Amino acid sequence: MGVVEDRGGPVVLDREVSRRGFLKTAAAVGAALSAAGVGGFGVAVRQVQAQSKEYTTYQGLGDVKILSFAYLLEELEGTFYDQGVKSGIFSGEALTFITDIRDNEMAHAQALASTLQKAGAPVPQTPNFTFPNGTFSDTGAFLKLAATFEPTGIGAYQGAAPALKNKDYLAAAISIHNSECRHWDAIKILQGVVPPNNVPFEKALTLQTVQSRVKPFGITG
Amino acid sequence: MREQTGTEAAVLEGTRSRGDFFKMAGLAGAGAVLGSVALAPKAFAQSGDLGIANFALTLEYLEATFYENAVNSGVLSGDALKVVTALRDHEQAHVDALVSLIKSAGGTPVSKPQFTFPSGATSSESSILNLAATLEPVGVGAYLGAAPLIQSPDVLAAAGSIAGVEGEHVTAVNNLLGNAAATLEAFPAALSKDEVLAKIAPFLGMGSMMETGGGSRRDWYRNAHV
Repeated sequence: MGVVEDRGGPVVLDREVSRRGFLKTAAAVGAALSAAGVGGFGVAVRQVQAQSKEYTTYQGLGDVKILSFAYLLEELEGTFYDQGVKSGIFSGEALTFITDIRDNEMAHAQALASTLQKAGAPVPQTPNFTFPNGTFSDTGAFLKLAATFEPTGIGAYQGAAPALKNKDYLAAAISIHNSECRHWDAIKILQGVVPPNNVPFEKALTLQTVQSRVKPFGITG
Repeated sequence: MREQTGTEAAVLEGTRSRGDFFKMAGLAGAGAVLGSVALAPKAFAQSGDLGIANFALTLEYLEATFYENAVNSGVLSGDALKVVTALRDHEQAHVDALVSLIKSAGGTPVSKPQFTFPSGATSSESSILNLAATLEPVGVGAYLGAAPLIQSPDVLAAAGSIAGVEGEHVTAVNNLLGNAAATLEAFPAALSKDEVLAKIAPFLGMGSMMETGGGSRRDWYRNAHV
Protein backbone atom coordinates (compact mmCIF):
# COMPACT_ATOMS: atom_id res chain seq x y z
CA MET A 1 0.00 0.00 0.00
CA GLY A 2 2.23 2.71 -1.28
CA VAL A 3 -0.43 5.24 -0.51
CA VAL A 4 -0.07 4.67 3.18
CA GLU A 5 3.69 4.85 3.22
CA ASP A 6 3.98 7.72 0.83
CA ARG A 7 2.56 10.25 3.23
CA GLY A 8 4.36 13.52 3.13
CA GLY A 9 5.80 14.16 6.55
CA PRO A 10 5.61 17.46 8.32
CA VAL A 11 7.85 20.08 6.87
CA VAL A 12 10.28 21.11 9.54
CA LEU A 13 11.43 24.66 9.45
CA ASP A 14 14.29 26.13 11.30
CA ARG A 15 13.51 29.39 12.93
CA GLU A 16 15.41 32.36 11.70
CA VAL A 17 18.65 32.58 13.59
CA SER A 18 19.91 35.83 12.30
CA ARG A 19 18.23 37.38 9.34
CA ARG A 20 20.79 40.09 8.95
CA GLY A 21 23.65 37.66 9.21
CA PHE A 22 22.03 35.37 6.72
CA LEU A 23 21.42 38.05 4.17
CA LYS A 24 25.00 39.27 4.43
CA THR A 25 26.29 35.78 4.04
CA ALA A 26 23.99 35.02 1.19
CA ALA A 27 25.04 38.12 -0.63
CA ALA A 28 28.67 37.22 -0.26
CA VAL A 29 28.61 33.52 -0.86
CA GLY A 30 25.47 33.06 -2.87
CA ALA A 31 22.49 30.82 -2.86
CA ALA A 32 24.54 27.68 -2.37
CA LEU A 33 24.72 28.39 1.32
CA SER A 34 20.99 28.64 1.54
CA ALA A 35 20.64 25.36 -0.29
CA ALA A 36 22.99 23.84 2.23
CA GLY A 37 20.66 24.93 4.99
CA VAL A 38 22.57 27.85 6.41
CA GLY A 39 20.07 30.26 7.86
CA GLY A 40 16.54 29.31 8.82
CA PHE A 41 15.27 32.23 6.82
CA GLY A 42 16.49 30.60 3.65
CA VAL A 43 14.97 27.31 4.67
CA ALA A 44 11.55 28.85 5.21
CA VAL A 45 11.71 30.54 1.87
CA ARG A 46 12.82 27.46 0.10
CA GLN A 47 9.99 25.45 1.61
CA VAL A 48 7.44 27.79 0.12
CA GLN A 49 9.22 28.18 -3.18
CA ALA A 50 9.75 24.45 -3.45
CA GLN A 51 5.98 24.15 -3.54
CA SER A 52 5.49 26.67 -6.23
CA LYS A 53 6.19 24.62 -9.33
CA GLU A 54 3.90 21.62 -8.96
CA TYR A 55 1.18 23.59 -10.72
CA THR A 56 3.06 23.32 -14.00
CA THR A 57 2.10 19.64 -14.15
CA TYR A 58 -1.59 20.63 -14.29
CA GLN A 59 -1.22 23.46 -16.77
CA GLY A 60 -1.78 21.47 -19.93
CA LEU A 61 -5.00 19.88 -18.71
CA GLY A 62 -7.43 22.75 -18.94
CA ASP A 63 -10.07 23.64 -16.38
CA VAL A 64 -12.60 20.95 -17.28
CA LYS A 65 -10.13 18.11 -16.89
CA ILE A 66 -8.88 19.50 -13.60
CA LEU A 67 -12.44 19.74 -12.29
CA SER A 68 -13.23 16.24 -13.55
CA PHE A 69 -10.20 14.84 -11.77
CA ALA A 70 -11.13 16.73 -8.61
CA TYR A 71 -14.63 15.30 -8.87
CA LEU A 72 -13.25 11.75 -8.89
CA LEU A 73 -11.07 12.49 -5.87
CA GLU A 74 -14.11 13.81 -4.01
CA GLU A 75 -16.15 10.77 -5.00
CA LEU A 76 -13.37 8.55 -3.68
CA GLU A 77 -13.23 10.42 -0.39
CA GLY A 78 -17.01 10.67 -0.08
CA THR A 79 -17.40 6.92 -0.67
CA PHE A 80 -14.63 6.13 1.79
CA TYR A 81 -16.10 8.26 4.58
CA ASP A 82 -19.63 7.09 3.84
CA GLN A 83 -18.55 3.49 4.30
CA GLY A 84 -16.75 4.56 7.46
CA VAL A 85 -19.92 6.12 8.83
CA LYS A 86 -21.96 3.02 7.94
CA SER A 87 -19.36 0.56 9.24
CA GLY A 88 -20.48 1.06 12.82
CA ILE A 89 -16.91 1.21 14.14
CA PHE A 90 -17.14 4.88 15.09
CA SER A 91 -19.11 6.52 17.85
CA GLY A 92 -19.21 9.78 19.77
CA GLU A 93 -17.00 12.63 18.58
CA ALA A 94 -15.23 10.42 16.05
CA LEU A 95 -18.53 9.58 14.38
CA THR A 96 -19.45 13.25 14.33
CA PHE A 97 -16.15 14.17 12.64
CA ILE A 98 -16.35 11.35 10.08
CA THR A 99 -19.97 12.20 9.27
CA ASP A 100 -19.20 15.89 8.86
CA ILE A 101 -16.24 15.12 6.64
CA ARG A 102 -18.34 12.79 4.51
CA ASP A 103 -20.98 15.47 4.09
CA ASN A 104 -18.29 17.99 3.11
CA GLU A 105 -16.78 15.67 0.50
CA MET A 106 -20.19 14.97 -0.97
CA ALA A 107 -20.96 18.68 -1.10
CA HIS A 108 -17.65 19.21 -2.91
CA ALA A 109 -18.47 16.45 -5.41
CA GLN A 110 -21.93 17.84 -6.01
CA ALA A 111 -20.64 21.37 -6.55
CA LEU A 112 -18.01 20.08 -8.98
CA ALA A 113 -20.59 18.02 -10.89
CA SER A 114 -22.90 21.01 -11.19
CA THR A 115 -20.07 23.16 -12.43
CA LEU A 116 -19.06 20.61 -15.04
CA GLN A 117 -22.65 20.39 -16.23
CA LYS A 118 -22.92 24.14 -16.39
CA ALA A 119 -19.76 24.18 -18.47
CA GLY A 120 -21.36 21.67 -20.84
CA ALA A 121 -18.88 18.97 -19.88
CA PRO A 122 -19.75 15.39 -18.92
CA VAL A 123 -19.61 14.36 -15.28
CA PRO A 124 -17.24 11.38 -15.08
CA GLN A 125 -18.62 7.97 -14.22
CA THR A 126 -17.86 7.06 -10.64
CA PRO A 127 -15.54 4.05 -10.60
CA ASN A 128 -16.07 1.05 -8.36
CA PHE A 129 -13.63 1.98 -5.67
CA THR A 130 -11.69 -0.70 -3.86
CA PHE A 131 -10.21 -0.33 -0.40
CA PRO A 132 -7.73 -2.57 1.38
CA ASN A 133 -9.12 -5.41 3.46
CA GLY A 134 -9.82 -4.40 7.01
CA THR A 135 -10.25 -0.70 6.24
CA PHE A 136 -13.77 -0.58 7.65
CA SER A 137 -13.37 -2.99 10.54
CA ASP A 138 -10.68 -1.16 12.47
CA THR A 139 -10.68 2.51 13.41
CA GLY A 140 -6.87 2.66 13.36
CA ALA A 141 -6.69 1.30 9.80
CA PHE A 142 -9.47 3.63 8.66
CA LEU A 143 -7.84 6.71 10.17
CA LYS A 144 -4.45 5.76 8.76
CA LEU A 145 -5.95 5.62 5.29
CA ALA A 146 -7.85 8.86 5.91
CA ALA A 147 -4.55 10.46 6.91
CA THR A 148 -3.20 9.61 3.44
CA PHE A 149 -6.28 10.66 1.50
CA GLU A 150 -6.45 14.11 3.04
CA PRO A 151 -2.92 15.31 2.22
CA THR A 152 -3.38 13.82 -1.25
CA GLY A 153 -6.51 15.88 -1.81
CA ILE A 154 -4.82 18.92 -0.30
CA GLY A 155 -1.80 18.45 -2.54
CA ALA A 156 -3.99 18.04 -5.60
CA TYR A 157 -6.02 21.21 -5.06
CA GLN A 158 -2.96 23.17 -4.05
CA GLY A 159 -1.07 21.97 -7.09
CA ALA A 160 -3.94 22.51 -9.50
CA ALA A 161 -5.25 25.84 -8.22
CA PRO A 162 -2.66 28.08 -9.93
CA ALA A 163 -3.30 26.21 -13.18
CA LEU A 164 -7.01 27.05 -13.24
CA LYS A 165 -7.83 29.77 -15.75
CA ASN A 166 -11.33 30.55 -14.52
CA LYS A 167 -11.03 32.68 -11.38
CA ASP A 168 -14.40 31.54 -10.04
CA TYR A 169 -13.17 27.96 -10.16
CA LEU A 170 -9.98 29.05 -8.47
CA ALA A 171 -11.91 30.72 -5.64
CA ALA A 172 -13.90 27.54 -5.13
CA ALA A 173 -10.85 25.28 -5.34
CA ILE A 174 -8.96 27.25 -2.73
CA SER A 175 -11.99 27.16 -0.42
CA ILE A 176 -12.34 23.40 -0.87
CA HIS A 177 -8.59 23.08 -0.27
CA ASN A 178 -9.10 24.79 3.09
CA SER A 179 -11.91 22.41 3.91
CA GLU A 180 -9.61 19.45 3.20
CA CYS A 181 -6.94 20.94 5.47
CA ARG A 182 -9.47 21.09 8.29
CA HIS A 183 -10.36 17.46 7.61
CA TRP A 184 -6.73 16.45 7.87
CA ASP A 185 -6.45 18.24 11.18
CA ALA A 186 -9.60 16.49 12.46
CA ILE A 187 -8.21 13.11 11.41
CA LYS A 188 -4.95 13.85 13.22
CA ILE A 189 -6.99 14.80 16.31
CA LEU A 190 -8.74 11.43 16.16
CA GLN A 191 -5.35 9.76 15.79
CA GLY A 192 -4.21 11.46 18.98
CA VAL A 193 -1.53 13.54 17.29
CA VAL A 194 -0.49 16.43 19.58
CA PRO A 195 -0.35 19.07 18.35
CA PRO A 196 -2.53 18.14 15.36
CA ASN A 197 -1.49 21.38 13.65
CA ASN A 198 1.98 20.06 12.94
CA VAL A 199 2.58 21.34 9.40
CA PRO A 200 3.84 24.91 8.84
CA PHE A 201 3.30 24.78 5.07
CA GLU A 202 0.84 22.55 3.20
CA LYS A 203 2.45 20.60 0.39
CA ALA A 204 1.38 20.78 -3.23
CA LEU A 205 1.64 17.56 -5.23
CA THR A 206 2.25 17.01 -8.91
CA LEU A 207 -0.51 15.53 -11.03
CA GLN A 208 1.57 12.39 -11.46
CA THR A 209 2.02 11.90 -7.73
CA VAL A 210 -1.70 12.29 -7.10
CA GLN A 211 -2.53 9.90 -9.93
CA SER A 212 -0.18 7.24 -8.62
CA ARG A 213 -1.57 7.57 -5.10
CA VAL A 214 -5.22 7.14 -6.09
CA LYS A 215 -4.73 4.51 -8.77
CA PRO A 216 -4.83 1.56 -6.30
CA PHE A 217 -8.34 2.64 -5.30
CA GLY A 218 -9.76 2.64 -8.81
CA ILE A 219 -9.14 6.08 -10.28
CA THR A 220 -7.35 5.44 -13.52
CA GLY A 221 -7.91 8.77 -15.24
CA MET B 1 -10.84 40.30 26.18
CA ARG B 2 -14.30 41.56 27.00
CA GLU B 3 -14.27 44.18 24.28
CA GLN B 4 -13.27 41.57 21.74
CA THR B 5 -16.28 39.41 22.37
CA GLY B 6 -18.40 41.30 19.90
CA THR B 7 -15.77 41.07 17.21
CA GLU B 8 -15.38 37.41 17.79
CA ALA B 9 -19.07 36.77 17.56
CA ALA B 10 -19.26 38.74 14.35
CA VAL B 11 -16.37 36.81 12.84
CA LEU B 12 -17.75 33.44 13.72
CA GLU B 13 -21.24 34.38 12.73
CA GLY B 14 -20.12 35.63 9.36
CA THR B 15 -18.12 32.50 8.72
CA ARG B 16 -20.88 30.21 9.80
CA SER B 17 -23.69 31.78 7.88
CA ARG B 18 -21.77 31.88 4.66
CA GLY B 19 -20.62 28.31 5.15
CA ASP B 20 -24.16 27.22 5.81
CA PHE B 21 -25.32 28.94 2.68
CA PHE B 22 -22.93 26.99 0.52
CA LYS B 23 -23.53 23.80 2.42
CA MET B 24 -27.22 24.19 1.73
CA ALA B 25 -26.59 25.07 -1.87
CA GLY B 26 -24.42 22.01 -2.26
CA LEU B 27 -26.83 19.64 -0.65
CA ALA B 28 -29.86 21.04 -2.39
CA GLY B 29 -28.03 20.46 -5.62
CA ALA B 30 -29.93 23.27 -7.22
CA GLY B 31 -27.66 26.26 -7.52
CA ALA B 32 -24.59 24.37 -6.51
CA VAL B 33 -22.10 25.74 -8.94
CA LEU B 34 -18.57 26.58 -8.07
CA GLY B 35 -18.99 30.05 -9.45
CA SER B 36 -21.22 30.89 -6.53
CA VAL B 37 -18.30 30.48 -4.17
CA ALA B 38 -16.48 33.32 -5.83
CA LEU B 39 -16.99 36.09 -3.36
CA ALA B 40 -13.66 37.66 -4.01
CA PRO B 41 -14.25 41.32 -3.50
CA LYS B 42 -12.64 43.56 -6.00
CA ALA B 43 -11.13 45.49 -3.14
CA PHE B 44 -8.11 43.21 -3.24
CA ALA B 45 -7.54 43.83 -6.91
CA GLN B 46 -6.25 47.35 -6.49
CA SER B 47 -3.15 46.45 -4.64
CA GLY B 48 -1.51 43.82 -6.83
CA ASP B 49 0.46 40.80 -5.70
CA LEU B 50 2.93 42.77 -3.63
CA GLY B 51 0.15 44.62 -1.88
CA ILE B 52 -1.64 41.38 -1.13
CA ALA B 53 1.56 39.80 0.15
CA ASN B 54 2.22 42.79 2.40
CA PHE B 55 -1.33 42.70 3.68
CA ALA B 56 -0.87 39.02 4.46
CA LEU B 57 2.42 39.84 6.15
CA THR B 58 0.63 42.24 8.49
CA LEU B 59 -1.83 39.53 9.44
CA GLU B 60 0.96 37.04 10.03
CA TYR B 61 2.82 39.56 12.18
CA LEU B 62 -0.34 40.04 14.22
CA GLU B 63 -0.80 36.31 14.76
CA ALA B 64 2.87 35.63 15.42
CA THR B 65 3.04 38.44 17.98
CA PHE B 66 -0.08 37.29 19.76
CA TYR B 67 1.08 33.67 19.97
CA GLU B 68 4.54 34.71 21.09
CA ASN B 69 2.89 36.67 23.93
CA ALA B 70 0.65 33.69 24.65
CA VAL B 71 3.52 31.20 24.85
CA ASN B 72 5.51 33.60 27.05
CA SER B 73 2.56 34.30 29.34
CA GLY B 74 3.17 31.14 31.32
CA VAL B 75 -0.54 30.37 31.62
CA LEU B 76 -0.53 27.58 29.04
CA SER B 77 0.33 23.97 29.71
CA GLY B 78 -0.24 20.52 28.28
CA ASP B 79 -1.92 20.21 24.89
CA ALA B 80 -2.80 23.91 24.75
CA LEU B 81 0.85 24.87 25.13
CA LYS B 82 1.85 22.43 22.40
CA VAL B 83 -0.84 23.66 20.01
CA VAL B 84 -0.12 27.35 20.62
CA THR B 85 3.65 26.87 20.38
CA ALA B 86 3.11 25.29 16.97
CA LEU B 87 0.84 28.18 16.01
CA ARG B 88 3.57 30.64 16.94
CA ASP B 89 6.23 28.74 15.02
CA HIS B 90 4.04 28.47 11.94
CA GLU B 91 3.06 32.12 11.89
CA GLN B 92 6.70 33.12 12.30
CA ALA B 93 7.64 30.82 9.43
CA HIS B 94 4.90 32.48 7.35
CA VAL B 95 6.30 35.89 8.24
CA ASP B 96 9.77 34.82 7.14
CA ALA B 97 8.48 33.31 3.92
CA LEU B 98 6.40 36.36 3.02
CA VAL B 99 9.25 38.77 3.77
CA SER B 100 11.45 36.78 1.45
CA LEU B 101 8.79 36.49 -1.22
CA ILE B 102 8.22 40.24 -1.20
CA LYS B 103 11.94 40.98 -1.35
CA SER B 104 12.56 38.50 -4.12
CA ALA B 105 9.78 40.20 -6.11
CA GLY B 106 11.53 43.52 -5.67
CA GLY B 107 9.11 44.86 -3.08
CA THR B 108 9.58 46.28 0.39
CA PRO B 109 8.08 44.28 3.24
CA VAL B 110 5.99 46.31 5.67
CA SER B 111 7.59 46.63 9.06
CA LYS B 112 6.01 44.93 11.99
CA PRO B 113 3.28 47.18 13.42
CA GLN B 114 2.89 47.90 17.11
CA PHE B 115 -0.06 45.76 18.02
CA THR B 116 -2.50 46.42 20.80
CA PHE B 117 -4.19 43.49 22.46
CA PRO B 118 -7.19 43.67 24.76
CA SER B 119 -6.28 43.59 28.42
CA GLY B 120 -6.43 40.05 29.66
CA ALA B 121 -5.88 38.63 26.18
CA THR B 122 -3.15 36.34 27.47
CA SER B 123 -4.22 36.05 31.09
CA SER B 124 -5.79 32.61 30.81
CA GLU B 125 -5.86 29.61 28.54
CA SER B 126 -9.45 30.33 27.68
CA SER B 127 -8.83 33.97 26.72
CA ILE B 128 -5.90 32.92 24.53
CA LEU B 129 -7.83 30.20 22.77
CA ASN B 130 -10.86 32.40 22.23
CA LEU B 131 -8.83 35.16 20.62
CA ALA B 132 -6.98 32.56 18.56
CA ALA B 133 -10.34 31.19 17.42
CA THR B 134 -11.24 34.72 16.36
CA LEU B 135 -8.01 35.49 14.51
CA GLU B 136 -7.55 32.26 12.57
CA PRO B 137 -10.72 32.45 10.43
CA VAL B 138 -9.77 36.04 9.58
CA GLY B 139 -6.47 34.79 8.20
CA VAL B 140 -8.21 32.07 6.23
CA GLY B 141 -10.82 34.49 4.91
CA ALA B 142 -8.16 36.95 3.84
CA TYR B 143 -6.20 34.38 1.86
CA LEU B 144 -9.36 32.94 0.29
CA GLY B 145 -10.56 36.39 -0.66
CA ALA B 146 -7.22 37.41 -2.10
CA ALA B 147 -6.35 34.22 -3.96
CA PRO B 148 -8.38 34.84 -7.14
CA LEU B 149 -6.77 38.27 -7.46
CA ILE B 150 -3.19 37.06 -7.31
CA GLN B 151 -1.51 37.27 -10.68
CA SER B 152 1.67 35.28 -10.17
CA PRO B 153 1.17 31.52 -9.95
CA ASP B 154 4.18 31.30 -7.64
CA VAL B 155 2.69 33.80 -5.21
CA LEU B 156 -0.62 31.97 -5.46
CA ALA B 157 1.06 28.65 -4.72
CA ALA B 158 2.64 30.12 -1.59
CA ALA B 159 -0.65 31.73 -0.51
CA GLY B 160 -2.49 28.43 -0.93
CA SER B 161 0.11 26.62 1.12
CA ILE B 162 -0.17 29.11 3.97
CA ALA B 163 -3.97 29.41 3.78
CA GLY B 164 -4.35 25.68 4.28
CA VAL B 165 -2.22 25.79 7.40
CA GLU B 166 -4.43 28.55 8.79
CA GLY B 167 -7.38 26.26 8.10
CA GLU B 168 -5.73 23.54 10.16
CA HIS B 169 -5.22 26.10 12.91
CA VAL B 170 -8.94 26.89 12.94
CA THR B 171 -9.74 23.26 13.66
CA ALA B 172 -6.91 22.68 16.13
CA VAL B 173 -7.78 25.74 18.23
CA ASN B 174 -11.50 25.04 18.21
CA ASN B 175 -10.81 21.45 19.19
CA LEU B 176 -9.33 22.70 22.45
CA LEU B 177 -12.53 24.70 22.95
CA GLY B 178 -14.69 21.68 22.16
CA ASN B 179 -15.90 23.16 18.87
CA ALA B 180 -13.87 21.30 16.25
CA ALA B 181 -16.86 19.78 14.48
CA ALA B 182 -18.22 23.25 13.73
CA THR B 183 -15.07 24.03 11.74
CA LEU B 184 -15.59 21.13 9.32
CA GLU B 185 -17.17 23.21 6.62
CA ALA B 186 -17.40 22.28 2.96
CA PHE B 187 -16.71 25.82 1.76
CA PRO B 188 -14.84 28.00 4.26
CA ALA B 189 -15.71 31.63 3.70
CA ALA B 190 -13.68 34.27 1.91
CA LEU B 191 -13.52 37.76 3.37
CA SER B 192 -13.12 41.06 1.57
CA LYS B 193 -10.14 43.25 2.34
CA ASP B 194 -12.40 45.74 4.09
CA GLU B 195 -13.92 42.99 6.20
CA VAL B 196 -10.47 41.76 7.19
CA LEU B 197 -9.32 45.26 7.97
CA ALA B 198 -12.34 45.87 10.17
CA LYS B 199 -11.56 42.69 12.10
CA ILE B 200 -7.93 43.60 12.72
CA ALA B 201 -8.37 47.35 13.23
CA PRO B 202 -8.77 46.97 17.02
CA PHE B 203 -5.28 45.46 17.16
CA LEU B 204 -3.64 48.27 15.20
CA GLY B 205 -2.87 51.32 17.31
CA MET B 206 -2.50 54.86 16.02
CA GLY B 207 1.25 54.47 16.25
CA SER B 208 1.37 51.95 13.48
CA MET B 209 -0.86 54.08 11.30
CA MET B 210 1.42 57.06 11.74
CA GLU B 211 4.40 54.91 10.98
CA THR B 212 3.11 54.14 7.53
CA GLY B 213 2.21 57.72 6.87
CA GLY B 214 -1.55 57.62 7.15
CA GLY B 215 -3.91 59.27 9.55
CA SER B 216 -6.96 57.26 8.70
CA ARG B 217 -7.35 53.56 8.44
CA ARG B 218 -7.72 53.79 4.70
CA ASP B 219 -4.57 55.86 4.37
CA TRP B 220 -2.70 53.38 6.47
CA TYR B 221 -3.88 50.68 4.19
CA ARG B 222 -3.05 52.45 0.97
CA ASN B 223 0.36 53.54 2.07
CA ALA B 224 1.26 50.20 3.49
CA HIS B 225 0.29 48.19 0.48
CA VAL B 226 1.04 50.05 -2.67
